[in-house]
Amino acid sequence: MKLGVVVQRYGADVNGGAELHARYVAEHLARHHEVEVWTTCARDYVTWANERPAGVEDVNGVTVRRFPVNRPRDPVDFGRRSTVVFDTVHSVADELGWLRSEGPASSALVGHAARAADRDFVIFFSYRYYHAWHGARAVPGRALLVPTAERDPAIGVSLFPSLFREVRALMYNSFEERAMIQAVSGNAAVPGVVVGVGSDVPAHVDPARFRRQFGIDAPFIVYVGRVDENKGCKELFAHFQQYVRSSATRLSLVVIGNAMMPVPAHPRIRHLGFLDDRDKFDAMAAAEALVMPSYFESLSMVALEAWALGRPVLANGRCDVLRGQCVRSNAGLYYESAGEFVEVLRALELSRSLRHALGRNGHDYFVRHYAWPVIERKYLDMLDRLREDDRRGRPRSAPLPLPGWFGRRRRDRPPAADVLASLPTGPVLPSSRSVSPASAERRRRPA
Amino acid sequence: MTDFSVRSDSVDVEEIMRQIRARVREKRGVDYTEEEIRELASVRLERFLDPSKVRSGLIEEFRRARQVSPPPENYDFEEHTLYASHRLPLLTRIRRLFNPVLKLFFNPNPLIRALHLQSKINQWQLAREPLDYEIMSNLVLEVTRLSIEVKNLKVRLESVATRLDFNEHRARALEGVVQYRPDAEAPEEPEAGAEAEAEGDEEGRDARAAARKRRRRRGRRRPGAGGAGPGDDAAAARGARAIPLEGAVPPPLDPARGDPRRVEGSAPGGAEATSGGAGTAAEATGAGQPPHPPTSATTPPEGRDEP
Repeated sequence: MKLGVVVQRYGADVNGGAELHARYVAEHLARHHEVEVWTTCARDYVTWANERPAGVEDVNGVTVRRFPVNRPRDPVDFGRRSTVVFDTVHSVADELGWLRSEGPASSALVGHAARAADRDFVIFFSYRYYHAWHGARAVPGRALLVPTAERDPAIGVSLFPSLFREVRALMYNSFEERAMIQAVSGNAAVPGVVVGVGSDVPAHVDPARFRRQFGIDAPFIVYVGRVDENKGCKELFAHFQQYVRSSATRLSLVVIGNAMMPVPAHPRIRHLGFLDDRDKFDAMAAAEALVMPSYFESLSMVALEAWALGRPVLANGRCDVLRGQCVRSNAGLYYESAGEFVEVLRALELSRSLRHALGRNGHDYFVRHYAWPVIERKYLDMLDRLREDDRRGRPRSAPLPLPGWFGRRRRDRPPAADVLASLPTGPVLPSSRSVSPASAERRRRPA
Repeated sequence: MTDFSVRSDSVDVEEIMRQIRARVREKRGVDYTEEEIRELASVRLERFLDPSKVRSGLIEEFRRARQVSPPPENYDFEEHTLYASHRLPLLTRIRRLFNPVLKLFFNPNPLIRALHLQSKINQWQLAREPLDYEIMSNLVLEVTRLSIEVKNLKVRLESVATRLDFNEHRARALEGVVQYRPDAEAPEEPEAGAEAEAEGDEEGRDARAAARKRRRRRGRRRPGAGGAGPGDDAAAARGARAIPLEGAVPPPLDPARGDPRRVEGSAPGGAEATSGGAGTAAEATGAGQPPHPPTSATTPPEGRDEP
């Protein structure tokens, strides 16, 4: 089978969540099928500037074809269009303009996808970008989508429900993501499976080496990821400092990742910057727990890695996905306020048996659901199923044409933020205690 | 937090979170419930805060003000509002028809959008106003709670400081006892023991045995817990003979244990205490143990301290 993988950025040095996800999937599927990756020349996810040469190259044994972006993103224009689409009644033309402004708009990439008739299926990553919407429409009946959807207003843009209904299949990252997408688009009939992504966790880790190298003797919790307010880091630092003040603790917070915001100068907070995979995994193995303060995640790969290493996770309970994973795996605790953070962290610090029990559950959960053989099998099964459908001649849904010139300019689309607010929310729990009304959830969210 | 001792097959994250949340609630409500805080904030605020600066009836005031002068009605401004006519629907159509001509002179769309946005902003502001007052009111409640806590802490601090002063005085007095009175007793103590030995009478042996028993019992007791420590026998002996030095603070009267100041006189039991105490002190020094510093300048008599 010949497959195409389309993603906004690609490279061994690209560490964004969806991009890494795409690379892992491409590399693992390449063991079973012929895979070619189509991507842009962009390296920076803010500007989409063409920084890499266009053309073909090989990345870890996978052929990668790069196409130039039409023009870099104008942040002012994008911000203005986002306000119109998210907060006001607007038109389809506004949405198309917003999508173009968001980028990475590469007509060459979409054109290539449309011409590549030899590909049996094309897997698109990240529903919200230009390449996914236009690309999936360019290969009708052959597009699979890995939405990597988070709970942000983009999901309420009226262009996307049709995309979710028209692709051949969706590979969801979590049950919460599936519930949200099905609620917004009514695409329950479209084949879909909750897959997620595996991780290349090394078989042997050396926590002592990490402690020696960085001179860390005391017990610590670790945060791994971009140090950014959007990731909940500001709140994490405040909560942790409160914990240190209120407890006779020896615990430190070790922060790994590039800083987009200042890290507080506190004797118990150590910022180590960006580390390679070896150091990262050793750090996670040496930690008492991994902390994940983000509000918006479609799937936390780093949480899965911590579980793979048998470490418990302390997650932000206001992120439905993280909370759902903690409950389903019985391998992590969560918090929704500073008081809860302090109590939960104290429980984790003082109770070794609790830590070990959660860690063991996490390891089992990872092996059961996120080990690479499991992930590969789910992708391969889905591809086989779609091919079987093709053989039997099952009808494929063709993309609906866009409204005409006047129709596109009719301002009848609701604000995307309102659509998002009307969607059900809450973690999907095993006993269906799950979805709470959006209004109740909104009350819980900070202003 | 040892109550989270669990096995992996029995971990229930939701149950643990319920326990943790209960604990958080418990901690928040240690001093006052929300209702009590509200009551305090509305009734007794002036005791803790400057009422000219912070007012507790913000929400009521806001509601009153709204009743007196309600906010002006918001307007709806949609795409068609600019062309609408209540009297003649045909006029609306005609205006729309000529809209392209109008656009040759100026573009009404930004105007429509701005007014539409303004209408939304007005609506949003109106919806938000009660929330702002709610936040202010909550802040007042929080300030009240903190003021009460600060006041309580001040009282506790004063109490602790007073007790510290008292203990310092007491310790100084006891140091004085140890400094000035040790040699006065040392020669006497073996004599009392030796005398009893020499006589070999039954009574003396019984007295020593009883004293030893008492000493053993007392040795297991925490010093300070019951007022009498390990060195109290010697202190009692001294107390029977010596007058407390200047600076020694008399302990408070405790009817359950008898008035310790009676020891100095010939109150009932005083003689027994004296002889018993002397015997114990002699034994202690005779056994080569270092004399314990007395914990109380005026220790109650032996017999009264027995459980």
